[in-house]
This record gives sequence, structure tokens and C-alpha cells, in this order.
Amino acid sequence: MGMRREIRVALAGNPNSGKSSLFNGLTGSHQKVGNFSGVTIEKYEGYVDHQGYRIRFVDLPGTYSLTPYSPEELVTRKFLIEESPDMVVNVVEGPNLERNLLLTTQLMEMEVDLLVAINMYDEVEERGIEIETEQLRGLLGCPVIPTSAKKKQGLEALLDHVVRVFEGDIDIRKNKLGFRPEVDGAIREITGLLRHEPDLSRFNPHWLAIKLLENDREVYGLVRDYPLWLKVERVLQRVLGETERLYRTDPEVVITEDRYAFIRGVMQECVLTPGEGRVSLTDRIDRIVLNRVLGLPIFFFIVWLVFQLTFTLGTPLMDGLDLFFGTIADAVSPLLVNETLRSVIVDGVIAGVGGVLIFLPNIVLLFLGLSFLEASGYMARAAFVVDKVMHRFGLHGKSFIPLITGFGCSIPAIMATRTLKSPSDRLATIMIIPFMSCGAKLPVHILLAGAFFEPSVAGNVVFGIYMFGVVVGLLSALLMKKTVLKSESEPFVMELPPYRWPTARSVFWQSNIKAMMYVRKAGTIILLAVLLIWVASNYPKNPAIDAALERQIATIEAGELSRGAKDVAIADAENSASAEKLEYSVAGRAGRLMEPLIRPLGFDWRIGVALVTGLAAKEVVVSTMGTIYSLGETDETSPELKTILKNDPVFDRATALSLMVFVLLYIPCVAAIGVMRKEVGTWQAVALYSGYALTAAWVFSFLTYRLANLFL
Amino acid sequence: MVLSELKVGEKAEVEGLLAESGVRRRILDMGLVKGTKFKVLRVAPLGDPVEIFFKGMYLSLRKNEAADVLVRKIGETGDGAPMREGRGGRQSGS
Ligand SMILES: Nc1nc2c(ncn2[C@@H]2O[C@H](COP(=O)(O)OP(=O)(O)OP(=O)(O)O)[C@@H](O)[C@H]2O)c(=O)[nH]1
Ligand SMILES: [Mg+2]
Repeated sequence: MGMRREIRVALAGNPNSGKSSLFNGLTGSHQKVGNFSGVTIEKYEGYVDHQGYRIRFVDLPGTYSLTPYSPEELVTRKFLIEESPDMVVNVVEGPNLERNLLLTTQLMEMEVDLLVAINMYDEVEERGIEIETEQLRGLLGCPVIPTSAKKKQGLEALLDHVVRVFEGDIDIRKNKLGFRPEVDGAIREITGLLRHEPDLSRFNPHWLAIKLLENDREVYGLVRDYPLWLKVERVLQRVLGETERLYRTDPEVVITEDRYAFIRGVMQECVLTPGEGRVSLTDRIDRIVLNRVLGLPIFFFIVWLVFQLTFTLGTPLMDGLDLFFGTIADAVSPLLVNETLRSVIVDGVIAGVGGVLIFLPNIVLLFLGLSFLEASGYMARAAFVVDKVMHRFGLHGKSFIPLITGFGCSIPAIMATRTLKSPSDRLATIMIIPFMSCGAKLPVHILLAGAFFEPSVAGNVVFGIYMFGVVVGLLSALLMKKTVLKSESEPFVMELPPYRWPTARSVFWQSNIKAMMYVRKAGTIILLAVLLIWVASNYPKNPAIDAALERQIATIEAGELSRGAKDVAIADAENSASAEKLEYSVAGRAGRLMEPLIRPLGFDWRIGVALVTGLAAKEVVVSTMGTIYSLGETDETSPELKTILKNDPVFDRATALSLMVFVLLYIPCVAAIGVMRKEVGTWQAVALYSGYALTAAWVFSFLTYRLANLFL
Repeated sequence: MVLSELKVGEKAEVEGLLAESGVRRRILDMGLVKGTKFKVLRVAPLGDPVEIFFKGMYLSLRKNEAADVLVRKIGETGDGAPMREGRGGRQSGS
């Protein structure tokens, strides 16, 4: 195979214009897509081979303009300026062309090699909008290609154009937008001045000049250190005076208005929108869903439904898997003659890893529910409905989206806060995300609620725990905002996209990816943790206990009791011997050490050990309990953990609730802590947070335990 | 008058923006520039934010931000349906 030539192409465009969908279609990747702004927050690369070229696409976070507003938008601008890709494909939302073309005009100002992909062309046609692409090409001075990422149309044409532009086969005219004369004059003057500074030659001077007039702080910083700044500043002052006098506003507004004026012209010449027509589906749905009276009840109902379905639909499947692992354990157990090996496999791997794997159906259902919320377009509506509440607690309506993501996993949720502009809003949101019970905590809740509550209420208990997390989170946010994170609240200006049907393909891939991640986690971190726990709860061995047990059994056998009574006595002796052995082990001793701390919450040392190991990953709480409790079990058959817990004297409803609350609130897993550290920037903040979370967990578990003991 | 004073169903045209830097930038980027015609679609259940419709898109903003948008009322339709005029481009049949 010969050397392939590479073409690096950036996909840039407004949020929610379908860049990631197009990227997936072009490169065969499975990046996350969703029907709200700010799904992609980091750049991703992928490639496709076409006509002897390797075309490397870079999927970028969406941005409304090249004067970035929030951290994730900065990524896009930085990439375009600093990494100068060979070409930029500007993905525009066909049905929403007017607003989308604003970014196009800014890309034209950068004078990059530009192609415009009019995406969602299927919707354009469906709505009866006519776009004259030939004319548009003429006005924009760059190739215009209709695409539909959904229907996979226009992708080949897009690739062909990329190659042709790269080969210089298509001439890109790089039209220049005209502004009002005062501004145009100033741009020319400043461009002339900037040309004399060799240090700045890596930037396009025309673009720098426009950005200076737009009051772009970063570009200011770039130019300010050079002697020519004095002259530049004089020009800037002059135009400011002129625009104030003539238009009663500053150059920044004049420039944006002129861009829109150009766009209006383009729209008039190239786009035909049907006039007064039918009311769209979105309008009809929103009349109900965003209704003043029904809006909030519907919101709560939808969230409740997601968790209720996770529980109700998931439980029969879970029970099936549970039975399956139980059967395996029973089948394998007699084959393993070596006692140690048998215990590792049965008590460790099957009870521990299997104990976590059985929750796979619930996890998949949860992610299906969440991805439906994300893909349908309801997410932005929910933010709209609850913004006032969020505002009361010092948060931003948009904080809501990462919080909901947090019900899946804290890690992407913490990263998703990059769509928030104000650092203090971001910090407050990051800090409360772990209180949104994540998918890994779901097994704990389902296990305990399922064991101690009737099936009819168990789903509501789980929902109640989730809501409790939300309340604690909101109150914590308020506390932070009132004390350490005082700040002006961030403005709330958000687009509500039209409702769209999630594509089966993306839903399938998203849940498939989540399922694989869960299984992989079970096979790696959780397996490792389980083996460590097994070792820690088996060693050191105390031969004295075994010897004592044998003597005891011999005494019983020699006694006068009936056969049945003897068996019972022997089983009792065996049970207390295993308990003694467990307590003698490393895990047992460590657990005993911390028992005084958690006793008031209704927990014994075994739960303590599970909580500590749960820091590796929250599912490990369940697998640790699986291993420890099944080591304690001496039965020939392996009963489900649920049954063991039900029969355990330490456990009752109060303990179960208290444990759910503790797991809900205490320190998140190490992976989440790591991401938190990265996004927040300091360990101190994370340490402070961990202390806070632990305290909150302890206090609320204590209250739960006491109250539950009083009332249940 | 300003956007936040409009009632549901009323149509208006943007005359200018009061807001300082940050918010103004975002509002401009969203296309609420001088001359843009829009309609107030609804108010959120708890009374804030509001949702408006223009140029074929739905935008929500808090009353606080809406108070920075200077507008001129141009009529009202009374129903909750988004308006079709004021949308960019030629209208068919015209
Ligand atoms: N009908 C239709 N819908 C599309 C098309 N392309 C994307 N979508 C939908 O548009 C929404 C946004 O798609 P994404 O690919 O996530 O958009 P994005 O530009 O990557 O968004 P950000 O990452 O937030 O900037 C999703 O609901 C997609 O299913 C298309 O060609 N036709
Ligand atoms: Mg994306």
C-alpha cells in the first residue's frame, strides 16, 4: 500500500446542527449525539479513506459564533486558529439557515478553505423549504452541499468536494463581507498596521482587525504588547466615536447587524419558506408539555417514569440473570474439588462479579430512558421548566442537563458542565453532580429496595432515593452559592430545538456502548476488587478456629441428639466458625476498626468494608457484600444475596434505607474524583468536597436510620 | 418598551439592546438584532423564563435578560401558535 495523503478537515457549526451525526456517518464512529445544544464538549477525530486520500475529520463542539462564550466553545475557536486544518466544513442546520449562517460569515472572515454542508436536508424538504444551492454557492463563494446525516444522503458528494477543494479543482473565492463604511475603513487601516508586525504574520490580519473591533479580549491580549498597538488603539477609539455618533451603538453591534443584513439578503435570494401554514408537531407538543399548569407535573411524571420503568421492566430480567448465576454456581461448585479454588470461583467471582452483572438490564434500561430524554429534544424543555427553581438555588437552568446526565454517570456529567459560562456556576454544579445517584449506585438501591420492600413500592423507594439526592444537591448548591461561591448569576439564553425522533441506530449504539462499558467494568475493576476482597477476607487463616470446629462437631456427633437436631447444631457451629474466620481476616479486622464510626448508622463491619471498597467503583459495594456474605454462608446451594440479606439479623428496613442514603451521598468513585480534580483544577477543592460529602452522608444516614426505626 | 413587558401572544420588533458585553454578545449571536420580528410564545410554568419565536427558531430567555432587549410592539395574534411572518426568506405566493 502506498503512502496515503492526508487531508485534515474540521467540522464546525452551531450547536445541534448535526456535526456529530455527520461525523459518525462519514467515519463510521459512534460519537454521542443528542437533540440539545452542547452534546459534544471535546474534539474527536476519525478518518475515512476516499479517492486515495485519508480524510481526517475533527468533530468539534458547536459554537454560535467565533467570539466564544463558554469553555467548550473555546475549544472550537482554538482548534481553528491554532491547528489550522486544511479545510473547514461548516455544518449548518438547513431548517434554521438564517441563524446558522452567522457563523458562516465569521468563517468567511477567517478566509479559510470553506465548504458549507446544509445538513438536515430531509427536514428542509419535509417542511417545504426550498433552498437554491447554486445561488447560495455564488453568494457565499464556497461549495454548498446538501446533506442528511439521518438519511445518509450527500455524504459521498461531501467527500468528493473535500478532495476537489484540496486538489485545487474548485476555486474558493473567499468573498469578503462588506460592513458600513466607517467600519470597513477601520478594518482596512488596522489590517495595514498589523501587516507590519512580523510576529503576527501567522494570523490573518483581516480577521484580527475585525476581532479587535468586536472587542475580543483574547485578540486584544495578542496585539497589545507590540508598539503598533498605540496606532491601532487610536483607530479603535475613532471608530467607536463614529459609530456612537452615527448609529448610537458600538462597532461590535454594527458588525453583527451588518452580518445579519448580508444574511437577510442571502435568505431573500436563495430561500423560499412556505408561508402561514400548518402548526408544527413541536408546537402541538409544547402546548401541552410546556403548559403553565401541566408543565411541572409532566416534568415530574417523565422523570418518575424513567426510574419506574428501570425498576419494573428490569426486575424480571434481573431475577432471571440472578437465577442463571445461581445455577452456574451450583453446577460448578461440585466440580471444583480444591476448596480454595472453589471458594474463589463461587464466593468471589460468581457472587461478586455475577452479583453486579445481574443489574445489566436495569442499567441498559436507565440509559435507554436517559438517551430518549436527550435525543427527543425534551432536555432543553425540562431546563426551561425548572430554570426558575434552579435559579432559586443559585444554579443555572442549563445546569440541569449535566445533572440529569449525572443519573447515568458522574464523569460525562462533570465534563458536560463545560457548557456553563460562569466558573462559579460550573463549580457549584460539579460539586452536586455526585449527589445525583449514578448508574453504578443503582444496583445498590435495587438490591436493597428489592429485598426489604414489596415489589409494588420498591420502585417508588428507589425514585424517592433519587429525589432525595436531588434535594440534598440543590440545598448544597444554595449553601455554596451563599458562602464560598458568591457571584452574579449567569444569563440564561437557550435554544429549544424542534422535537426529533431518536434514530434507532444511535439509540442502539449508545445503549450498546453503555452495556459494554458496564460488562467491561465488571470484568476488570470489579473482578480485581472482588479478588482482593476475597483474599482480604480469607487471610490470614487461623487454624485454631478449624480445629475448634472439628472438635465441636465430634462432640455433637458423639452426643445423644436425634439426627435432625445434630444437623442443626452442626450447621450452627459451622456458621459461627465462618463468622469467626471472617473476623480474623484482614478485612474483618479493618472493618472492626471502623465499626464504632458506622454503628450509629445501623451498619456492621461488613457494610463498612463494602463502603470502603465501593470507592473503587460503586458497584463494588454490591460485589463486596456478595463475596463477604456468601463466605459467611455455609449452605450447599448458593442463595441470592437478596435472600441472604433478608435473613441477616443485622439487616432490616431501617438499615437498608440508611445504607441507600449513605451510598447515595458519600464520596464518589476514584474515577469521578479524578475527573473532578481535572475540571476543578485543585486538590484542595476536591478534598473539601469529600469532607463535605462524607459528613452529609453520615448525618443523613443517621437521621434516616433513627427515623425509620421510629416509624417503620 | 422592553421584551419582558410583552405578554404572551404579542408580536414585536427588536429596536436595540441595553445589555452589557456578555449577555449582549449571546443575544446578538442568537439573531436578536435590530429589526428582527418575533412573537412571545409562552412563559414557563413558574413565571420565568419566557419563550419567543423568530426566524424559524425557538429561544428561551430569563425575564432578567429580556429586560435588556428594547422592542416595539407590532401587534398580537392571541393564540399560542408561532408566527410565520418575520421568518427569513421569500414567502411563497408573494
Ligand atoms: N432529521 C435529521 N436530523 C438530524 C440530522 N442530523 C442530525 N440530526 C439530529 O439533530 C440532533 C443533533 O445532532 P448532533 O449530531 O448531536 O449535533 P451536533 O452538531 O454534534 O451538536 P453539538 O455537539 O451539541 O454541537 C440529533 O437529534 C440528531 O439526531 C439530519 O440530517 N436529519
Ligand atoms: Mg456533537
